[in-house]
Amino acid sequence: MLTVITGGSASGKSAYAEDLVLSWGPAQRLYVATMYPFDKESEKRIARHQEMRKGKGFQTVECYTGLEWIQVPPGANILLECMSNLAANEMFQESGAGEKTVEAVMRGVCHLERQASHLCVVTNEIFSDCQPYHEETKRYQQYLGEINCRMAQMAQQVVEVVYGIPLYRKNTVETGTERSGNLL
Amino acid sequence: MELIIGGAYQGKWEYAKKLFPHAVWVNGADCTLDELLGAGGVHHFHDFLGRQMEQGEDLERLPELIMEKTPGLVIVSDEVGYGVVPIDVRDRAFREAVGRVCCELAARARRVHRVVCGIGTVIKDA
Repeated sequence: MLTVITGGSASGKSAYAEDLVLSWGPAQRLYVATMYPFDKESEKRIARHQEMRKGKGFQTVECYTGLEWIQVPPGANILLECMSNLAANEMFQESGAGEKTVEAVMRGVCHLERQASHLCVVTNEIFSDCQPYHEETKRYQQYLGEINCRMAQMAQQVVEVVYGIPLYRKNTVETGTERSGNLL
Repeated sequence: MELIIGGAYQGKWEYAKKLFPHAVWVNGADCTLDELLGAGGVHHFHDFLGRQMEQGEDLERLPELIMEKTPGLVIVSDEVGYGVVPIDVRDRAFREAVGRVCCELAARARRVHRVVCGIGTVIKDA
């Protein structure tokens, strides 16, 4: 089963995602960390996230590129964070998939979903702004947008988190039929 | 406390004034902390946060302070952070701070409204 969690920056996505994975019960919890520590700021971010999930029973696996090749224990509850970093790594890092980012990432997501009991992917809304972006940045938005759409098609649940408040954009878990819009 | 959020120029304040016609408003772009804590409502709250940051003020205690001093405050803020992470470090810190403070406020708010095209949706009603 796949749950996609999206939202803006600092919208409370991570905290919500962690709580959701905890609610899935006591199966082994795996955290797939995708942020590459390339400077002080990212190191600080990583430390903040580590602090947040301390004591929640997550085993951490770092994966910057090549998600489809990582070994995960079957039947685990997996939290992958964040798709926006993984997509950027695949696009811009030397070991990454470059123009084939979308396909590589989706193969990785399918790989994890097949192995996991539940998979939760945190992604990011980076599409609603009007800064004069470079071509490369626009291409990044295009790739991440496509990944988000494709994950959402596969997913049983798609949740947009707004300042910690979950808005269910898709939920086929309880009723078996697709429901759209806000489920409050 | 009521939190009203949404993108820029979405009619958030107009929506808020209709809901709370008797509130006395201050503008986050120029009010002091004391003025904010004595007001019925504040609009451009994100600008207030930006100014506090420029002055090196710690924002961590602000949500609690608001709940202590003015628990009925109506807060109107732009929702920022739906674009690509900005290149400038201060821009990044600003949208991060607005997000963190608004998460704390949303957790404490009686209601949270999200306004698009002037139309409000209550996304939390405690």
